[in-house]
Amino acid sequence: MDNWVIAMMLGASIFLGAVALFAFLWAIKNGQFDDEEKFLNAAKYDGEDELNDALKQEQKKQKLKKQYRPE
Amino acid sequence: MSNSVACNHCHLEFDKSVMIVEEGVGFSVATPKNHTLYFCCNGCQGVYHLLSDEGLESFYDKAEGIKLTPPTKQYQDSSNFNSAAFYERFVNINKDGFHEVSLIIEGIHCSACVWLNEKALHKMEGVIEANINFTNNKAHIVWSDEILKLSSIIDMIRAIGYNAYPYDASIQEAHANKERKEYYLKMAVAIFASMNIMWIAVAQYAGYFTGITQDIKTILNIAEGVLATPVLFYSGWVFYRGAYYGLKNRVINMDLPVATGASLTYIYSLYITIYERGEAYFDSVSMIITFVLIGKFLEILSKKNAADTLDIIGKHIPSVVNILKDDAIVSCKIGDVVAGDIIVVSSGEKLLFDGEIIKGEGFFDESNLTGESEPIYKKVAQSVISGTTSIDADIFYRASKDFKHSTLSNLVHLLESAINKKPRIEQMANRLSEYFSAVILGFSVLTFSLWYFWPHSFEISFMVAISVIVIACPCALALATPVATLVGLSLGAQRGILFKEAAQLETMAKIDTLILDKTGTLTIGKPEVVEEHLYAAFDTSLLYALVSASKHPVAQGVKNYLYQKDETIAGLLFDTYKQIPSLGISAWYQQREILGGNHKLMEENGIIATFESTDTLFYVAIDKKIVAIYELRDKVKEDAKEIIAAFQKRNISVIMLTGDNENAAKKVASEVGLTAFYCNQTPQGKADYVSMLHEQGKRVVMVGDGVNDILALARADIGIVMGSGSDIAVEMSDIVLLNDSLHSLEDAFKISRTTYGLIRQNLGISLIYNAITIPLAMAGYVIPLVAAISMSVSSLLVVGNSMRIRYKWNKN
Repeated sequence: MDNWVIAMMLGASIFLGAVALFAFLWAIKNGQFDDEEKFLNAAKYDGEDELNDALKQEQKKQKLKKQYRPE
Repeated sequence: MSNSVACNHCHLEFDKSVMIVEEGVGFSVATPKNHTLYFCCNGCQGVYHLLSDEGLESFYDKAEGIKLTPPTKQYQDSSNFNSAAFYERFVNINKDGFHEVSLIIEGIHCSACVWLNEKALHKMEGVIEANINFTNNKAHIVWSDEILKLSSIIDMIRAIGYNAYPYDASIQEAHANKERKEYYLKMAVAIFASMNIMWIAVAQYAGYFTGITQDIKTILNIAEGVLATPVLFYSGWVFYRGAYYGLKNRVINMDLPVATGASLTYIYSLYITIYERGEAYFDSVSMIITFVLIGKFLEILSKKNAADTLDIIGKHIPSVVNILKDDAIVSCKIGDVVAGDIIVVSSGEKLLFDGEIIKGEGFFDESNLTGESEPIYKKVAQSVISGTTSIDADIFYRASKDFKHSTLSNLVHLLESAINKKPRIEQMANRLSEYFSAVILGFSVLTFSLWYFWPHSFEISFMVAISVIVIACPCALALATPVATLVGLSLGAQRGILFKEAAQLETMAKIDTLILDKTGTLTIGKPEVVEEHLYAAFDTSLLYALVSASKHPVAQGVKNYLYQKDETIAGLLFDTYKQIPSLGISAWYQQREILGGNHKLMEENGIIATFESTDTLFYVAIDKKIVAIYELRDKVKEDAKEIIAAFQKRNISVIMLTGDNENAAKKVASEVGLTAFYCNQTPQGKADYVSMLHEQGKRVVMVGDGVNDILALARADIGIVMGSGSDIAVEMSDIVLLNDSLHSLEDAFKISRTTYGLIRQNLGISLIYNAITIPLAMAGYVIPLVAAISMSVSSLLVVGNSMRIRYKWNKN
């Protein structure tokens, strides 16, 4: 039975670590660390407005995509 | 005192009386409603109201009073951004069918500026993405071309007080960035997994000494295996790829033993895990990959980006010129100018076409092309060359060729080909690793067969053979070069020496020929007064006024001399003032005639001057009587002689190339103790000379500073440029000496030799380490603990040795 405890603990902690790792990889791929100054400033400026802005931008992109790619 | 007030947009402070005052429209927290607004100019006022209309008021809260550049208004028409030629060169269409462009934004001071630009562009209909990098001010914009044109985007950026110009985000740069990002991802995975494996390994090793049940061991092995798998197949993919391409080209490179070693160890460990006996080596797998990957990444980090260089050259060529058409001056794109067009050039402008002067006269600076430091006087019917700059001439000239065939674009073409032809010396570590890899693989095969035929089971023989590869850990070998070059680069940076690429340290250490440009490299580059001969008392402010108005370097030299003697000196206003081309200056002041110029000017005015000197002379005569003579010389830099002697002592042949005439060259050469020099060199001639040395098998360093040196700089093994050199030359170079001193040149050489020595030491350490451990491994004496410890120790030795050199240098 002790063996299962060890296996579970190992599994759970590696899994949690992996989740954090994937979040980090996603952020790198997304270009969030491309500009070291900007990503530090983001902590200062980001707020509701910025979130809304990002959403609007995304919607605009989707809309335009549909318009030009009717097929 | 408190009369000055800050402009509400740019925050520059001016006197209240000159400001534009507005009542009660403030909107941000910093300027609440009913607050008086002040603006320094219409531009700032315009931007302020634009931002308030667009709802971008919080910009001012974010900027927190940072001083901005007031917007300038006179921009050229932005419609040429919409031309097909422009689109073809700078605009790409991405996979979604949208257009994208890379721009450099001018005028970004703070992160609020970045925010504002992105916001303003996002608000535009049709802009899909606007991403500005604060660090290098480069913007990447994606938009839909059917809704709006690029010119409207540029107009918006200009409207909010910034300017934008395009740059060619060429494939190379994009590729370099992508490669770097890929390494970040791979390293993140490798480091994460290795760190986790390490703490599992602690349990393994503890169990190895104090006893552990096979069940627990298997659980730990499985956990390690799960972590090691992505390291090997994701992070380690570069090694498989490298080994594959190496084999394809019949080269055994460093990647091959890493790839084979790691995969064999991995397979063996899987086998151990499944059959539950012996020790698994998953920790070695991930450690090897992680270490070597970091070493590889360090090398990639310090690789130069050649892509930006040509952009900068393009930036220096204006896109439009003024031409005379039907008696009116109109601006015309340079591509549209044909041979026979009449081009208008005013003083200070650059000539973009070859041609013949049809109206006007004046001095031209041809130093870009000939290296000749003296301005050249040209008048009607004489030919002018593209690439020269008009110093004080307002001329009309007839283009004899179109831009594509001009000397200037020829130069650009030559440059492009010179960059591609640059020789590369193969790096020592790469050569060494070829042999090393082959030997290690050979040894492990040998070990396996010896053990197998000396009757042992397959399993034991296989394990011993693998331990040979694992113990011949390439970690130390892979770290040897990058760590040493990092030390070299940082030593250089502390002394104002910028190596643009790490590999150049090694090349620099192997050079045997040093070519120096004369003007600006060996000499200061501006004539200075070395001696003053006074024959009669006179008012020096007269002379000061006389020379101040001329841009000729000799006159400037005299002016600087007078200013140094008396900083309060001020000029007078002459009644008449005339510059006589090639001779000097004549002026009248209260019925007295003042003449300043060369010997010929004195002769023509009937003044007898019998002064003899090898230097440039500047005569001053008042009322036909010589009152003073100044001797001027382009002084040689203080330590030039000593430094050249130091190089010659190291058996490096030092050669001087100059565009100047023989006399000037000879004088400088003898002064610094040089015997080899070539004068009257054109830029092409200098480059050809470098090529000729290459054919003789020489390794050449070229030191220069001007545009006339760039071809040679590009072609030499190493091009070194003084920090004060022209932008293009600095871009073109491999090493920049920021403090312009020849001492740095010697330092650069010393640092590269030290670094090269360090690389050899590091490689030596890792080889000695291998010489000791490989026989042990072959004899089957290596247990996992020894393998793990020795692996770290060898890497630590290499890093420690590099730190030792750094410490030694910094102490001196």
